[in-house]
Amino acid sequence: MAQHHLKLRSVSLELPVAPGPLLGPIQAALASHGEPLRWAITGCRMSASGERQLRIEAVVITGGTP
Amino acid sequence: MTAAPLPTVLIVPTGIGCEQGGFAGDALPVARLLAAASGCLVTHPNVLNAASLYWNDGRIHYTEGWSLDRFCQGKLALRPHRGHRIGLLFDGGIEADLLDRHRQAAAAARASLGLRLGPQVVTAAPLNVELRWGASGASWGKPAAVDLLLQAGRDLHRRGATAIAVVTRFPDDAGDPEALLRYRQGAGVDAVAGAEAVISHLLVRELGIPCAHAPALRPLAPLPHLDPRAAAEELGYTFLPSVLVGLSGAPRLIAAAEAGANDLLADQLGALVAPHGALGSAAVLAAAERGVPVVAVQNPCCLNVTAAALGLESVKEVASYEEAAGVVLALREGLDPVALQRPLPTAEQ
Repeated sequence: MAQHHLKLRSVSLELPVAPGPLLGPIQAALASHGEPLRWAITGCRMSASGERQLRIEAVVITGGTP
Repeated sequence: MTAAPLPTVLIVPTGIGCEQGGFAGDALPVARLLAAASGCLVTHPNVLNAASLYWNDGRIHYTEGWSLDRFCQGKLALRPHRGHRIGLLFDGGIEADLLDRHRQAAAAARASLGLRLGPQVVTAAPLNVELRWGASGASWGKPAAVDLLLQAGRDLHRRGATAIAVVTRFPDDAGDPEALLRYRQGAGVDAVAGAEAVISHLLVRELGIPCAHAPALRPLAPLPHLDPRAAAEELGYTFLPSVLVGLSGAPRLIAAAEAGANDLLADQLGALVAPHGALGSAAVLAAAERGVPVVAVQNPCCLNVTAAALGLESVKEVASYEEAAGVVLALREGLDPVALQRPLPTAEQ
């Protein structure tokens, strides 16, 4: 059987997003840190340039065999 | 004539201190109300688990958060099921007397409720759960021994468990005595809830079967003026009974592509109800992006991620869960909730 040796890591992100769907951009941003296990947008503000900035807290899985 | 059920999702996120539902199963009355209004409610253990208190309702589908997210994203279907064979996964860090209490709670559920219990396993070493706080004030945490947890889950699954109740030893003062006191007084965030979600998410992701978590903790000394919302956790030696009851009737998790005619899929959803300041989750965003009506309820928590902040349109904001139930009932009956408002907005608004 494949050995997993999974590790969990907390990730905190600031993510600028364009108007429109949010789920895809968030999942893509988290994927660069690992496989998202649990996440939420924990803050949201508009930048001076009018861009929406999301703050995301996540737990991601790193390592292991998928 | 009674309208057909309107499948509805209720979310009260775990570990963010929701005034209603942020304690010990204290959103259960909300779930019962929304189940009656909708005729079909999908919700998660944090809503339904009140330690040794529980409520069984065939209209409520007990669905762990990882699978609930994927259900809302259209990746998983829910297949109604009764009589799971529940495996018991115990942390090797639980002391012998506390382990006995949990085994006896499970035995009582079998003897007195008729639940079908399956294999048991105690992990070969302690799982060493660590509790943490996020910058937002939300709780989270993780087991240090992830591989041991998953190995035990695979063992139970191989031995015939179709659902798993996992019990891990948590620090008795939740690692933060002051936070625990605030929680018991009704003013704080549940310090263990976020870690519980991480543990159950890991097992559901790994095994594809319903799983839910109960923390193993020593009973606390009685606290005068204990907040009633936290009281359910101080009635006994374990939090396991509600988990076993919930899992016993949890829907099976089916890949959406393999869904049958009687399975519940996201495209059947008629509404999603969530706290107004906690709309930034995968489930809520997926529902909103699918055009499912989102009902945002005033229910203060440590987050302020509102529909306006996220730019979500077509979110119906309401002041209470009673009002949310009215909106769900209106949708179920095919009424436009806006038609119930006065003054009546013009058609162009």
